[in-house]
Amino acid sequence: MSQIVISPLPFFDRNLLCAVEKLVPEAEREEWLRAWQAELWHVHHCGRHDRMQALAITTDLSIGLTRDAFWLRTENWRRTFSGTAILCLGSLAGLSLLCTLIALALTGGWQSLCLYLREPFYRCLIAAPLVLFVAFATASRRHIEQTVTNKRLFRMKRQLFFAVKISQVISLAFLLSVGFCFPLHTLFPITADLFQIFCFVLFALVGMRWALHDQEQRCKQCLHSLTKPARVGRPSHNLLEWNGTELICKQGHGLLSVPEMETSWCQSSHWVDLGTSWDTTIRI
Amino acid sequence: MNTPRLSHSAALILKALTLGYCFGLDIMEITGLPSGTVYPALRRLERDELVESKWEPEEEATAKQRPARRYYEVTQEGKIAALAATQRYPLLAHLVMEKR
Repeated sequence: MSQIVISPLPFFDRNLLCAVEKLVPEAEREEWLRAWQAELWHVHHCGRHDRMQALAITTDLSIGLTRDAFWLRTENWRRTFSGTAILCLGSLAGLSLLCTLIALALTGGWQSLCLYLREPFYRCLIAAPLVLFVAFATASRRHIEQTVTNKRLFRMKRQLFFAVKISQVISLAFLLSVGFCFPLHTLFPITADLFQIFCFVLFALVGMRWALHDQEQRCKQCLHSLTKPARVGRPSHNLLEWNGTELICKQGHGLLSVPEMETSWCQSSHWVDLGTSWDTTIRI
Repeated sequence: MNTPRLSHSAALILKALTLGYCFGLDIMEITGLPSGTVYPALRRLERDELVESKWEPEEEATAKQRPARRYYEVTQEGKIAALAATQRYPLLAHLVMEKR
């Protein structure tokens, strides 16, 4: 690629580009730099602007190029982490941290927070196994496992992710219930205790339903969220053939068929592995 | 096909592009929008496949003794979206003049 340097950019512009280019993902950096060098060059050399106007436009463009670099970086993160297990666990951890900080602000310090949390913690320790039991017992759909290469490794990965996720959901439900009932605790301590356990059970059950649904709608290999739901079959032909929704893994590992209604020949969601021959199709 | 709903500034930028303003700097000048709005909006429009970016031919730029610039063109989907945006924001048609 030939770089024409007819006359160099001013000192400020060059340094600004040097500083901001580090924000841009490496794969897009060269093109970004080339585009902005050209834009800045035109501000200074097109002859349409006097010195003051050029200065004002350069100042404006400095904000523009910084925001452009930020956009590229956040878009890169979005593409990389969207639907991943890391993002899911990170978001839950972030919410738990936020709840802890709110509880800390409400109680006024670590010591009083620990003191306040002790009793609700013991109550929730008893309630948590019951909540888990109810959540698993009422979970409607289980998968029919298909043959997957390195099946054991993938199953361990899935189970580890699920275990971490439900422990985060339970702890988040606990922190939410505690924070929610704290203002009531100073006025009506007994009512607040009852209300706290009720809130915990409610939040934990809702959280567990979400966790199970989320687990079902993830790829069995890479744990990415499945996307592109597509309706398959016709509800009016339900007695004659399968109908429901198909979701696909963006990485091309497989697809999940979710039946519209449970029938004797199609009782649960069905995971289908896609071979390497599908790679090209998925990329398109 | 569903036409995407565009914000007012994105619609204004798309309208400017359909009227022949193809460089970021030109769009800034004609719309009066700050660069911090124009360039990220162009990226979003490109991601949504409403516009596509190309580089000026190197020979053309060399002949004019200047670096090649990146320019934007509206795609077929972009033209449909621009039409829908003009119907949604009727004043848009009067805000940007066609490039002479």
